[in-house]
Order: sequence, then C-alpha cells, then structure tokens
Amino acid sequence: MKPAPFEYLAARTCDEVIGALAAGEGETRVLAGGQSLLLEMNYRAVRPVQLVDINRVRDFGGLDVVTVPDSGPWLCVGPLVRHGRFEQQVEAGPLGRLLARAVHFIAHPPVRARGTMLGSLAYAHPTAEWPTLAVTLDARLDLVHEHGARTLSADDFITGSFATARRPDELLTRVCLPLLPTATGVAFVEHRRTAASFAQLAVAAALSAQDGVVADARIGLAGTAARPTRARAAEALLTGRAPTDEAINRAAAASVGVVDAPDDPHAGDSYRRHAAEVLVRRALMQARDDIAERT
Amino acid sequence: MADPGDMGQAVARVEDGPLVRGHGQFVADLRVPGCLEAAFVRSGVAHGLLRSVDLTASRRTPGVRGAWSASHLDDVPLVPAMLYPEGALDRPWPALATDRVRYAGEPVAIVVAENRYVAEDGRDRARISTEPLPAVLDSAQAGRDEVPLFPGLSNVAVDVTVGEPVDPRVWERAAAVVDTTYRYPALCHTSVEARAILSRPEPGGVLTVWCSHQAPHRLRNDLAAALGLPTDVVRVIVPDVGGAFGGKSETWPEYLAVTAAALRLARPVRWVEDRAEALSAGPRGRAQTQRVRLAADADGRFLAMELHTDAAVGGYPHMGAFLPEVTARMATGAYATPEVHVRARAVLTNTPPLCPYRGAGRPEAAYAVECTVDLLARRIGMDPAELRRRNFVRPDAFPYDTPTGFRYDSGDYPAALDLALKTLDYPRWRAEQAHRRAADGTPLGIGVCAYVERSGAGGEFGAVEAHADGTFTATSGCCATGQAHATTFAQVVASALGVDRHLVHLVEADTSVVPRGVGSFASRSMQNGGEALLEAAHRLLAEARRRLAAQADVPEAEIVVQSGGTLHARGRTRTLGELAAHHPLRAEAQVEPPQAFPFGAYAAVVEVDRELGIVRVLRLVAVDDYGTVVNPLVVHGQTYGSIAQGLGQALYEEAVHDADGRPRTVSLLEYLLPTLSEIPDITLEETCTPNPATRLGAKGAGEAGCIGVPPAVVNAVADALQIDPSTLTVPLTPETCWRAAR
Repeated sequence: MKPAPFEYLAARTCDEVIGALAAGEGETRVLAGGQSLLLEMNYRAVRPVQLVDINRVRDFGGLDVVTVPDSGPWLCVGPLVRHGRFEQQVEAGPLGRLLARAVHFIAHPPVRARGTMLGSLAYAHPTAEWPTLAVTLDARLDLVHEHGARTLSADDFITGSFATARRPDELLTRVCLPLLPTATGVAFVEHRRTAASFAQLAVAAALSAQDGVVADARIGLAGTAARPTRARAAEALLTGRAPTDEAINRAAAASVGVVDAPDDPHAGDSYRRHAAEVLVRRALMQARDDIAERT
Repeated sequence: MADPGDMGQAVARVEDGPLVRGHGQFVADLRVPGCLEAAFVRSGVAHGLLRSVDLTASRRTPGVRGAWSASHLDDVPLVPAMLYPEGALDRPWPALATDRVRYAGEPVAIVVAENRYVAEDGRDRARISTEPLPAVLDSAQAGRDEVPLFPGLSNVAVDVTVGEPVDPRVWERAAAVVDTTYRYPALCHTSVEARAILSRPEPGGVLTVWCSHQAPHRLRNDLAAALGLPTDVVRVIVPDVGGAFGGKSETWPEYLAVTAAALRLARPVRWVEDRAEALSAGPRGRAQTQRVRLAADADGRFLAMELHTDAAVGGYPHMGAFLPEVTARMATGAYATPEVHVRARAVLTNTPPLCPYRGAGRPEAAYAVECTVDLLARRIGMDPAELRRRNFVRPDAFPYDTPTGFRYDSGDYPAALDLALKTLDYPRWRAEQAHRRAADGTPLGIGVCAYVERSGAGGEFGAVEAHADGTFTATSGCCATGQAHATTFAQVVASALGVDRHLVHLVEADTSVVPRGVGSFASRSMQNGGEALLEAAHRLLAEARRRLAAQADVPEAEIVVQSGGTLHARGRTRTLGELAAHHPLRAEAQVEPPQAFPFGAYAAVVEVDRELGIVRVLRLVAVDDYGTVVNPLVVHGQTYGSIAQGLGQALYEEAVHDADGRPRTVSLLEYLLPTLSEIPDITLEETCTPNPATRLGAKGAGEAGCIGVPPAVVNAVADALQIDPSTLTVPLTPETCWRAAR
C-alpha cells in the first residue's frame, strides 16, 4: 500500500495551481485533505504523475455569505474549508442547521479535520454527504482554468459515480449554497453499517412552509443511482399541500424510481429501494418536525 | 498479610507505558542496517495453471535488488503443515506457486528492493500468464470433486466422525426433532498489526529472524527444516506484537520466501503485510457450513444431536484442516445429551487458506448448538433459559466424558446461566418485551448462549532464577502477543516466592535464550505457561531450602520460608538473592496439564428496526469462568476485545469474494469492523471453578467473547422478530434481518 512514484508541488498561489493543472496534461491531481485521494494512491488505483498540494495557498479558506442581486444570499465555501468547520453552525438559519446535521455523518473526527467540502464534491462519491446536499440545494460550483472560468449547477457538475464535468485543467475554487428561508425545516438521514462506513443511502430534505402548506420542497437522494438525484416527483406531490402523514407517505412512495445502485457487497437492489422509501419518509417527518420546533 | 506478588489483583500492565508512549518495537519499527523490503506478486485468479512468470521488467526497476518466482529457484521451499500432516503430505504447498495457483492472492513471486515503494513498483511490472480453471469457492461445490484442486486427489482433505451413530429410532420416537442448517462465513483476523517478518543472515551461517508470531520455537524448527538449515543456527525473536488471534501461529509461504531471498542476497529482508494483502490474500477463519439435528422428549430433555460440518479450508489444507474436528468434539456443548454424532470434513476451496481464528472451531460448535437449542425451545414453546437448565451437565457429574471424546474437567453451568440472567435482570426485559409486543412497539429480543470451550494443549516450559542483587528472572516458553505476560507471569512467580512482583523480570520469545517452548495460542499461556512458572518457583524454593539446610547444617524441615523471599533456620536468615550469591539458584519445570474446559453464559438484549432491519444491541452480559484469575484487569481487557470481535462476527464481518473468487472486501471500508460507536453497554461477571488439574488453577481466557456473543445476538434477534434463529445468517446485515422480518 505504497503509492506509485509521483511529483509533488506545494503551490502557494491559485495561479500556480492552475498553471500546474494546465501543464499536467490530465495527469496532475489536486491534493486538499487527501482523505480519499491518498487512499486510492496507496492502493495504486490512481497513479497521478503529479500532485499539486493546495494546503499552503492563501485565500482558499473562505467561508462567506455573499448576496447576489436577484438571487439572494449564498453561503460560499473555498477549497480549504474542512468538513469539521460545519460541526458548529456556520450560518444561523436552516442551511447552517442542515450542514451541521449532515457533517456528523462524514466518516469520523480525524477525517473531518482534514477532508474538505470541495474535495468531496470533486471526488463525487455516489453516496457522499456534500454532493447529496449540493444537488438537493442546487448549489453553484465555480471552476477556474488558465484561460477563464465557468460556473455550473451541482446537477450539471456531478455526472456520475466518481465522475464530474470538471476538466483535468480546471480547479474547483468555490461552491455556493443558497441560504434557506427562515421557515424551512431541514433533515439529513443516512443508512450505513457502522459509524465509520460510507452511507448505503442518504436523504437530504428541506421543506419551506408558508401558511401551513409546503411552499418549496427539496428532496435529495443518494445510493439509488450512480449519483445523487432530486426526487422531483415527490417534491411536486408535497408542494402546495400541508405536510400531513398521508402526503409524506405518498411522496416517499413516489421518490424511488428505478434503482441503479452503486456496487455494494452488502445490499441488493430491492432492499435498497425499500430502504430508500423508508428513509425519505423519515427525513420528511423530521423536516416537518423541524419546522414545528421553530414556529 | 498482603501478597507482595499481587496475585489476583487488577494491577496495571507494565507493558503499557512504552506502548502508549510510542516506544513499542514491532517488526516494522526495527532499524536493521542495510535491510531490504519485500513485496509479493500475487495471483489475480483463484484457480489456474501457471504458464509463465516474467520478472524482467521487475528486475530492471531501479532499486530492485532481486526478484524470483518458483521457476527461478532450484529448490522451492515447501510450506510445512500445522497439526494435520496426513491431509497435507500428498498436497504440497510451495512457498511460491510452481505450476498451479489455488487461490486469488497466492504468492507467485517475491520482489526485494531498497524500500517498499520500489518493491511495489517492481511487483507491478511483473507479468504473470495463467490459464484459468473453474474456481470452486464453497465446500458444497468443492466437495463434489468435479473440479479437483490437486488432480487425482479428492478435495475432501479430512473426513472424520466422532461419537457413535444415532439409532434412527431415536428420531422417530422423539417428541420433538429440529433439523436445520447454518453458514458461518469466512472471517479475517484483522489484528492491528498484520503479519510481519525480518530475516537477517549473520556472518558464520547464523540466521536471525524477527517475526510477529505466536510460536517462535515452531517457526524456528519449520524454517530450518524447510530451508535445509540446522535448527541451532536459526534464532527467532518475537518483538512487540499487535495482535495475532491465531493467524500468527503458522509458518506462512511468505515467511519462507522472504527468508530464502535474504539467504540468497546475504542481506536482511523484511516483509510487512499491509491491510490490502491481509484482507485479500491473508488467512481466514471459520468458513463452515453445518447441518444440525436435535431430538428431545416431551419434557425438553435432549435425546440426541447430530452435526455434519464442512469447512472450506482454502487452497491448501496445511493450517486449517484440523479445525472441523475441533468443532466436532465441541458439539456436545454444555449439555448432557446422551448421543452425539458428528461428521466433520475439511474441504479444499479456491479461497485463501483457513487457519485458527480466535475460538478456532469452538465458536462454530457453539453457534450450531446454541442456535439449535433456541430453535427447539421455539418448537416446544419453552423458555430457552429453562430448556438449557433442564439439559446442562450437572455440577456433580464432573469429570464428564462427552460422547464426542472429551473429558470436561469441572464446571457449574447452571450457576453461570443464573448469574447471567440475574445480572441482566431477565424478568424485567421479558416484561418489556411483552409490553412492546402488546403495544406494537419496536421489536425487542433477549438471547442467551451457554458455552463450554476448550483451552490449553501440550506441555510448556518455565524456569525461575534468583540473582544475587535480589531480582529474579522468569523464563517462559510462551510468547505474548498482547496478553501482558510480563505483568501476569511476574505476579505468579512473585506471589509464589513472596517477593515484590517488580523484582521479577520475564524472558520469553527468543529461541536463543529460551531452550524450548510451545507458544501462545489456544488460550494456553496462563493455564500451561503460568503453571510451569509456578512449578519452577516452588522448585526454586525447594532448592533454596536444601541449600540453606546444608549451609546451616539443619534438617530441611526446620527451615521456614517467609515473605520477602527469605528463609529462616535456627536464627539464620537468608534471602533468595544471598543464597544465589556464589552458585546459580535456578529451577526449571516442564508441565503437561491436560486441556481444560472453561465455560460461561452470555445474554444479549437487542432492538430491531423492523422497517430497515437494523439491529441495535442494547445490553450484553458476559459471565465467564476461567478458573483462577491472576489479573482481572488483563482478563477483562481480553474479554472486552473478544466480545467486540464477537459483535463483528454477529453483525458486520464477512470476507466476500466475487463469482470468480476474487476478493471484494479489500479494505476496511468493505470488510466492516465494529467501532467504538457500535459497542453496547457490557457487563462482565465471573464464577470461579479452579482448574482441578493444576496447582495454579487457571483455565484459558480470552476467546470466550467470540464464542458466546454470536449465538446470543442471533438468538436475541430471532426472539425479537419471533422467527427461527436458523432463518438468520451471520453477519446480520440489515437486509438479512429485513427479509427475515417480512
């Protein structure tokens, strides 16, 4: 379990990182927390020619609320913000609460102390917590390369299991998550074998209420497809209705379509489909209770 | 007066200071000048004909000092068999595969380089050509002999029966008969430190070997025999060991290849098994499929039990072929069943080699017996605890000769079960269960397991020497792999001599210093090794008496031994140190105590999320009887660890391979272990029935958790879901329990 030979560059500036990626011809990988990359390198599942270490780059630790005209406030997260940062609410509203609930499912404290949110998004594990939240909340991701930049929605960014739209010469420099209306109930639930395991299934839910009915429903589901997906049919069933048990049950039943699960020696598809429905229901109940607790 | 040796006291381990400060010296920590590191080229297929191994590119890798496959060696060392040579003799196991590979991960070539990174670079450049053959992966399939692993020979390497065949009329006339099957999966040992060896040829033809091992003298003998060396030129030293659990008793092919490479290069060579190797190609435990039949009369008294068990022993029978017979002989369990008949087979499969894993045949027996007792209890509508009480071997029936050919030395099985139920507050949980069932609440179940296990085998060597400076050296043929011998053996010796335990220093685990020894496995260290040291300490006192009697010219009978290691005779007082001042004062002992049968009762309370099938263990009570306990802290530490491994077996662990026999659980993200978050509230209690065959009275400790926990948890889950325990299969994945609950 020793990595194949690689070159190592400790970058000091963003330009240096981007320059190295451009020169790397697809064989350069970015080292942030290293919690997945180094493991894969030790197993020699990946053999990058070069690692560009971004841990010394100044200004990569940003974590700010940015207000964008016409689209409201966003929480914007830089490349060196570690998972553990979200254990305390980084924002007083429902978004901060949701992040704080989700982060506890990420591995264990040593991993949370090193791993980064952007690293997790770039890695795109099919049941990882941050990609699930990013898809659920329609996060925006900024990619920079030598000759320009672009912004993608999470839905466009994550293309499959461990697959993203990031080109090898691009650096993921920022993810922005929309702040949620105050009267939003949030929940994050997972099904996993041990506290240190990856999720078999994960569900993120955010229900915004107005006058006793759901004004906006967001349900993200991981573990039933190659990448996290929105349960749009379920969201539509809830929107405009009171979040009664019956409505929630119907939404949960509608949330799980075709299961195209990641390869897993421990759970088959029919169990996965069943468990996903249970988890969606539990997440929606929790989100509903979360509204009630705050109003 | 207080015992300065602290016998029976929970004193802190003297080993822990250096270990927690990072001063431990494991094989990987040794700094040996000029040491090279080895990596293995392993077969990617589970079964195939080896056509060619091309190491040209490996050898050209800068920093690689040598690379060999079997075809590059004139004489490939053969792996020696442990305990069961007859099944192994005509099935040779070359240290590097010669013409056929029999499991995925089998060593095909060794690459030796300046460091492990380069060794792995060289490994990756090897080219193996294999003609795949069909792989037989389970014992049922392999036992049909359609695909022989050794052409011309059956895949069934061992086929034994124990006990007398049951008269068919017993089954016909019985009031109740249950008949069921179980599957106990293959498990990995997952010691924190995996296997490791460093072999250094010395000037003058001597070979020094540091190995993370349980039986240094056996390793020495095996290495010498396999490599054609005189035994006395091989010195085996076992430094700190990070857990063994049976996987380090053997002389593995990798050890032979590393040592052969070191001899060829005349350089020290080290191999440290990494987690990927340990999980994909390392030894396995358990892997049995069983069929059990149990008959009882109208009062629930057992009339007969029949067990057929097949163990999938992997590509070679050398290490694990004896395990099914252990299961067979332990199939009596704690019960006075008049007729027990077992057929046990070791079947070759294209999987990594089976070897003893903590419990070694006894967990498999306890699982078959204890889950079947609960099944019968369900059938006849009797409380499972009550059914056990009716069938226990009675406390006045010892020594008890089992129908399977063992002699249980001593025990009080009802007392252990009663203490477990009392500690658990059994009636309260049964009331809670009734309440939940009435209210359609979360299913709750209670499961018990009454186990008997076997400990100790063979003789052991011990010696005690007094020094003029007042200190003592205790020398043992055992070999600690985490069991705190330096602490506990010192307690035994110091207590016998009446001296402070800090004055006693232990020497073991070095074949150049310890003349002979068997090692530490089968829970034998305190039972056998402790007894040898106790005997040696008493012989030392006897010799001291003789010496003082001669010096003072008094009859030996007048000499009084007092605390502090002093002897008195007619006004003369001598310490043991003073008596050793001019002439060595030393005594040896070789003891051969018979095997002992520790026992106990485990009880578990679980809750099952019916919708998702997730099992939550709420409470675990362990009552163990290990005879005399020298240090409760050390024994409890081993019990907690064993219980955690038992929970792993019940709920998480299984070595999984694909249809072609390639491993799928290659990291600890796939091979799941319980973490601290999964450990429930545990209460340990004890009864004490001293070993009647020894002066010390100790029986084996440390393996019981692996034996008692899985049946207790499975029985509890079955009880919660109101289903037959035999419908569940370990590990109890959520999917398994969900399906069972539907």
